[in-house]
Amino acid sequence: MKLSLRSWIWRVPVHEEVDEEIAFHVEMRTRELVAGGMEPRAARELAIARLGDLARLKRTCVDLGRKRDREMRLLQWLEELRDDVRFAVRQLRAAPLFSLIAALTLALGIGANSAMFALVDATLLRPLPFPQADRLVIVWERSESTLRGRSSPLNLLDWDRQSRTFDGMAGFIPGMGGGMVTTGADGLAETIPRQWVTAKFFDVLGVKPILGRTFVPADDRPRANAIVISEGLWRRRFAGNPNVIGQSIRLDGNPYTIIGVVPRDFQLLGPSSMWGLIPSSLRPAARGPRFFQVVGRLKAGVSIEAAGADMTAVAEGLAREYPSFNQGRGVLLEPLRTVLIGGELRRTSMLFLGVVGLVLLMCCANVANLVLARATARARELSVRSALGAGRRRIVRQLLTESLVLAAIGGTLGAMLGAAILKAAPLVLPQGLLPGAVTLSFDMRVVAFCAAAALGVGLLFGLAPAWQAGDVSSAGALNSRGATGTRALRSLLVAGEVAMAVVLLVGAGLLLRTLIAVDHVDRGYRAETALTMVVDPLGSQFPTAQSLQQFFDDVEREIRALPGVRDVAWTTTLPMGLSQAGQYFFEIVGDPPRDESRRPSADFQLVSAPYFRTLELPIVAGRGFTSLDTRQTTPVCIVNEAFVRRFLQGRSPIGVRLSIRSSLTQASPLVKEIVGVARSVKGRPDETDDLLQIYAPITQLIMDDTFLVVRPVSGRAEALAPSVRAAIGRIDKEQLVSVRSVTTLEDVAWEATARHRFRAVMVMTFAALALLLAAVGVFGMLAYSVQQRGRELGVRMALGASAGDVLRLVVGSAVRVMAAGTAIGLALAAVLGRLLTTMLFGVQPLDPATFVGVTLIASIAAVLAAAGPAWRATRTDPAVALRAE
Amino acid sequence: MSPKTTNALLHGTLDALILKTLTGGPLHGYAIARSIEDTTGEAVLIEEGSLYPALYRMERRGWVDPEWGTSELGRRAKLYRLTHAGRMQLNAETEAWRKFSAGVSRILFAR
Repeated sequence: MKLSLRSWIWRVPVHEEVDEEIAFHVEMRTRELVAGGMEPRAARELAIARLGDLARLKRTCVDLGRKRDREMRLLQWLEELRDDVRFAVRQLRAAPLFSLIAALTLALGIGANSAMFALVDATLLRPLPFPQADRLVIVWERSESTLRGRSSPLNLLDWDRQSRTFDGMAGFIPGMGGGMVTTGADGLAETIPRQWVTAKFFDVLGVKPILGRTFVPADDRPRANAIVISEGLWRRRFAGNPNVIGQSIRLDGNPYTIIGVVPRDFQLLGPSSMWGLIPSSLRPAARGPRFFQVVGRLKAGVSIEAAGADMTAVAEGLAREYPSFNQGRGVLLEPLRTVLIGGELRRTSMLFLGVVGLVLLMCCANVANLVLARATARARELSVRSALGAGRRRIVRQLLTESLVLAAIGGTLGAMLGAAILKAAPLVLPQGLLPGAVTLSFDMRVVAFCAAAALGVGLLFGLAPAWQAGDVSSAGALNSRGATGTRALRSLLVAGEVAMAVVLLVGAGLLLRTLIAVDHVDRGYRAETALTMVVDPLGSQFPTAQSLQQFFDDVEREIRALPGVRDVAWTTTLPMGLSQAGQYFFEIVGDPPRDESRRPSADFQLVSAPYFRTLELPIVAGRGFTSLDTRQTTPVCIVNEAFVRRFLQGRSPIGVRLSIRSSLTQASPLVKEIVGVARSVKGRPDETDDLLQIYAPITQLIMDDTFLVVRPVSGRAEALAPSVRAAIGRIDKEQLVSVRSVTTLEDVAWEATARHRFRAVMVMTFAALALLLAAVGVFGMLAYSVQQRGRELGVRMALGASAGDVLRLVVGSAVRVMAAGTAIGLALAAVLGRLLTTMLFGVQPLDPATFVGVTLIASIAAVLAAAGPAWRATRTDPAVALRAE
Repeated sequence: MSPKTTNALLHGTLDALILKTLTGGPLHGYAIARSIEDTTGEAVLIEEGSLYPALYRMERRGWVDPEWGTSELGRRAKLYRLTHAGRMQLNAETEAWRKFSAGVSRILFAR
């Protein structure tokens, strides 16, 4: 206090202060010398001379004085701030319920927002975890039928050699779920996920090993059998032993040498713990098979457009040189980030950010409301302080400090809540929502966000009461009424809250209807209680189709003999799951030939004869497959109803022959005769175009990546898993068959709808929160106004107003506010609903049921919120109310 | 004037002298200078040009607190008052001087 007191009195500019002081010194010294008998002029000169260089002296002093004053001002400011904060804390302590509710409300808003910020930061803002990640692009091979296709090894080699805008290009096979087999701890075959890559892969991405080395050009030779492993695998399987480099590990029955370990968080499109090398020196024919996903690093400063032009020229050259392979094929460049973080994830992130942003705004409105209510209650206190000489600015500053202290508490709690949410997030996030290269973490960026949010929020909800207080203090009147302005502002805030809650409710309703539609979609098969897993024998172990068929038959027999097993089937596609064969092009034999680029395609699926029975998927026409369909008999196939509707309208499908190719360029197509028609199944839960399907018997064509489906006689499917796994182990004596992705058909379907469920649950949670906040807002507004108008109501009742009149009076204002808010909210929702279109299925953005339902819910909430205060109003005792003041 | 070598002020001593002078009560700059001259019998000559910068520096450090008072001439004058921090500083400097002078004395007066 001493300091600030001093600075109030000490209002002399520094240079005057110094001048005066020196002048005084000179005068005193002169007097002394004169008293000693000196002549006045000489005395004065001597006095000045003794001070030395006067100008320099003054300069030094003024300089020091200025610095002193600056520090003093800062000190004073800090001291005032400390006082304000202390006072604010005292005020908050004096009203613990208010403080608790306000801080928790803010914590909720800020916490939810910080978690969402982490998601948005990871997906939209933060660079990918590669050095100069903005220079990384995915190079697609574009053809007439596919915009984003893979490339062949030789095309990749030529692209890399001939392009002038790339530092380098590498190929890899994303291989979702693929892996290499080694003997696990339990003696059975264990599958380790791996990717095949070309030698330059790690260099192009800029990934540095934490141990050993990554691939070098010298590794690029056939049978190098070198392997790079991930940190996770290294720690789990090799206990982090640094001597692992150079060690041999048996994979798929062959010895491989571990040459390096790369950091844990390195992932590119699909999980992988191991990277094996594909040599580039394949036979010349390797221009046809296209299996490489290509990633390239642009030269520094080269734009993606320039690189695109360069690559188009390269592709045109290759098309002229190898017309049989490359005719009509170009390239498409896309930033790696765009490919990794798909539009769906981006949209979901934005949706959530918008939703939690609205909720934060509502939290702000609610707290502002609380603070306003208190500010009116504190009007007397403020008036007194104003009367005692506190300036308007000082009071506003004090109130703002209170808001900011509140926001700081809320922000701290919010950050803690955010950290907790992020910790729990991996458990609730649907698998595959976040690509491997994207990780959610609570770090300094999130903390900084929380701090910024708290500051912004504090200013936002602090400004209104501070502004009001300015009025109160200038009015100066020591009375507690005259707060109509405050009342209007509070009504506005509550109406805004109701509107926001309604918007969120409509969004939640639409997503919920989507989820219901997706869950109740007719999938065409029975998903309940069916065990499934991938069985992937090594090609080298079963070189012929006959030996592979023998293996499948043996496994099937072994499992069928297990107790509790009803049916066993093989298939290459799981409904709502993965298709191992993918889309095949087909033509109807006898129909006029179509252009290559416009040739239709359908999901091609190899199944064993019991498949339809196992999935309880009805054959609606013709017959199913039997053991009589073999390699020696006519090649046959079954199509689904959607196929018939689309392509065989008006003719009998049975007997029609299809010519089927895996790619447009495949020289000799398979020709198969349709023998039956199966019910359609859904490929994806939310697909709008029906999935076209062609089934072929596994006894006529066989693949090594195949799903096993086992249906138990009764009970849970999972219970069969150990005995089925052991049964395969009895047939696969060398433990070289990869068995993985053990799950149930139900879980496959559940996962397929996980995104919808996740979105709906999230938005519903926040909408419920918003509704609660709005209800609290309405309740607060009413309860407060009843309390404020207690005297007035008392007078009215004393003058003969009935309880009904009072009720009408109190509820009337609430109804107006709610109705206005709901109307605004519905209008906003009608506009904003369009943004949701891509996420909706089976419901329109302007779904009437949703809008009516939301209006109903909002009304019920309003009634519940208004009931308490209204009841209290009718119980007003005139005698008590009139005596109160 | 006395021989130059004997009365040159050792670095840092001026602050201590000023602080000591102020223990008797608030004084203005000129009075401080006079008081030091009188007490030391002019054996220690303070350079008047360094007095005021020293005062401003000490103000900034919070060792002295300035206030307006009235001078002998009946005019307003800036008075310096010793603060608590200034007193602590004086104690520290006195102790340091005691050690220093004892050490130097042991050498200079050694037989």
